[in-house]
Amino acid sequence: MEHVKLLIVGAGAAGLSAAVSAWDAGCRDIRIADRASAPGGVLPQCIHRGFGLSTFGEELSGPSYAERLLAALSSTGVHLSLDTEVLSVSHDKTALLSRRGCVSRVRFERLILASGCREKTIGSLPVFGTRPAGIFTAGQAQETINLRHQDLGREVLILGSGDLGMIMARRFSLEGKHVIAVLEQAAHYGGMARNYHRCMEMYQIPLRCRMTVRKIHGQGRISGVTAVHLDSGEQEYIACDTLVTALGLIPERALVQGLEASPWLSLAGNCCRVYDIVDSAASQAQRIGHEAGTSLL
Amino acid sequence: MERFDAAVIGGGLLGCFAARELSRWKLDIILLEAREDVCTGISRANTAVVYSGYDHKPGTLKAEMTVRANASFDRLCRDLDVPFSRCGSLMLSFGPRADAVLSKKLQNGEANGVPGLRLLDAESAYAMEPGLAPGLRHALFSPTAGTVNPWQLGIAACENAVHNGVQLRLNTKVEALHREADGYLLETDRGAIRTRAVINCAGLAAHRVQELLFSPSVRIVPSAGDYLVLDKNSAGKPAHILEYEPEEKAKGMTVVPTVEGSLLLGPSERDNTLDYATAENGLLWVREQAARLLPGLDLDGTIRSFAAVRPNPEQMDGRSIHSFVIEHPGQGFWSLIGIKTPGLTCARELGQYVAASLARELHAEENTDFDPIRRGIQKAHTLSFDERQRLAAAEPEYGEIVCCCEDVTRGEILEAIRRGACTVDGVKRRVGTGMGRCQGARCQQKITAILSRELAIPENTVTKDGKGTEILYHGAR
Repeated sequence: MEHVKLLIVGAGAAGLSAAVSAWDAGCRDIRIADRASAPGGVLPQCIHRGFGLSTFGEELSGPSYAERLLAALSSTGVHLSLDTEVLSVSHDKTALLSRRGCVSRVRFERLILASGCREKTIGSLPVFGTRPAGIFTAGQAQETINLRHQDLGREVLILGSGDLGMIMARRFSLEGKHVIAVLEQAAHYGGMARNYHRCMEMYQIPLRCRMTVRKIHGQGRISGVTAVHLDSGEQEYIACDTLVTALGLIPERALVQGLEASPWLSLAGNCCRVYDIVDSAASQAQRIGHEAGTSLL
Repeated sequence: MERFDAAVIGGGLLGCFAARELSRWKLDIILLEAREDVCTGISRANTAVVYSGYDHKPGTLKAEMTVRANASFDRLCRDLDVPFSRCGSLMLSFGPRADAVLSKKLQNGEANGVPGLRLLDAESAYAMEPGLAPGLRHALFSPTAGTVNPWQLGIAACENAVHNGVQLRLNTKVEALHREADGYLLETDRGAIRTRAVINCAGLAAHRVQELLFSPSVRIVPSAGDYLVLDKNSAGKPAHILEYEPEEKAKGMTVVPTVEGSLLLGPSERDNTLDYATAENGLLWVREQAARLLPGLDLDGTIRSFAAVRPNPEQMDGRSIHSFVIEHPGQGFWSLIGIKTPGLTCARELGQYVAASLARELHAEENTDFDPIRRGIQKAHTLSFDERQRLAAAEPEYGEIVCCCEDVTRGEILEAIRRGACTVDGVKRRVGTGMGRCQGARCQQKITAILSRELAIPENTVTKDGKGTEILYHGAR
């Protein structure tokens, strides 16, 4: 069986940062596994600017931020396994890895989980009605537009005004789509003020607060939603051919379910808790990486 | 014009089994389905329970068929290579009315010959299901009840039918029926077909198909029900099927730990509707019942809701019918109309019943080459490490994970497409992609790309679930 001192699951901002710190602490046997074909996690699909102000002193795009992290990684001897899914982790400190043509077991001494988040989906909300095509999570829409360069729809309604919801509202506008509105159940937008200004105000996209989606309409493709005003209870039909849900992020820890208390396990970045900005996730991951690297000397 | 000995109308669970059972005889058989894939109607949404047979009055066809079907379910699922979990069921009573119902069911079950049926006191029931709400009085434990994935069973029966010589014709809708001297003429939207015999398994439209040629005898009044699905990792999941018999005279709820590991809750009941849209009050009712029955169940693990439609048969004068309706309105014409619970349990028995009846009418010879065995798609995540390692080494695509929540490989998806999946949901029904906690957010676009390449169609024409459900925007850019 293969053996590695430090195994890191996920090559996003947290995984890369943790790896570099662990290396700098003196650990010389580190492997990162990531299911994607390119490193960087969600950074490559975040083509907007706004990353890295506190770390690099300038505003970078997601891909540029990833480049900086990769430049730091390239001066280390960390082994990066892409297109590699970590299928499971067990008590005896082994992980099961799978990639094209090869399923293998790896024994490790420490594991850093840096698996980021998954998005909440519409299925988790008390929304009823049909289940037509044309409903996407914001991250899924972002990946499809920015990395696959595909067209998702014309008349777009966005549910949720977190940063991702607002950023996608702007992105659809830039694609020439009509963004009908961003609905938000709270009394105030959910994301950062700068994103509200840059993504919503500058593009004149209406933010409609104290509203949510109650019912989905449409047989084949979505044709509209019944939205509800949470204060008055009044209902309103909003026609759309695309619904993008930005309902928030859930730390993705399924891989270590039942193992959370293991002394050899640490959580880095957004799978530990959801950070507002990537710099915070990365700096937490650096601390985790340094601590793991030191402990393995 | 094409000629067949028998045409089966409707590629749902029942039609697939009727065709499969009919292929035990030397007959030329065609299975006609209006949609682009089999098992897209009633078969794709129901409670997924294989009943043990205590619900029905002794001496009825339903009672007899259910007990027989249940006893042969392991064998059937082994033959068709479909996962079946004989997890057992507990029918739960929290009061005197439900206690009386349980006693009645116990009596029925004993008369019907249901094996191992036992009335448990609360203590024994809590030992089996510690998460049950306080106040339980009794539980009727039926160790032989189980669960199966309904569409996987139907797809397996269809594949086995085709393996035994049945012709499957998709995208073909029967529009008219004519009686001829030696059989029937079927006019479809893709040409006419002559056949000596017809088995009508058209589901919600079965009465309409029969009325194309015969006068109405029963009608179908559809009702809908809402379900919730909880992720396999949800806390507080029970190990057995739970049937909650409420104290007020109202519908109970069923909780099913599915073969996939998720938890199915439902259904609510809404009368007289063909609507596959879920209803607010229905979903709220399911949540309330679940919270009442299993207080520790984490309902935040809800990943999906869906509605199912059931075909309730009624006499033309409005009286409801409690038995299976198996009609034989003309020589060589058999109809299964309004088959609801326990239709999944009895799918093969019903198929066998009409197939054997028809074979006698047609004086058909037994097909001694009939092969009951179907090999399912290899599921990488069910294999041992060594097996999985060997498979990935021999067929590299079985190492590539596409759906990370449910651990489904590219190899499985390619095989599903080779076997007839032509939509994202068709792939999902065969290999379980997109059924997990992210509900396809992370794999839908990858599967769309694979379908586009394998079927050699533009990516923006790949659909979720048939025409009109294109995933990407279908109009001009």
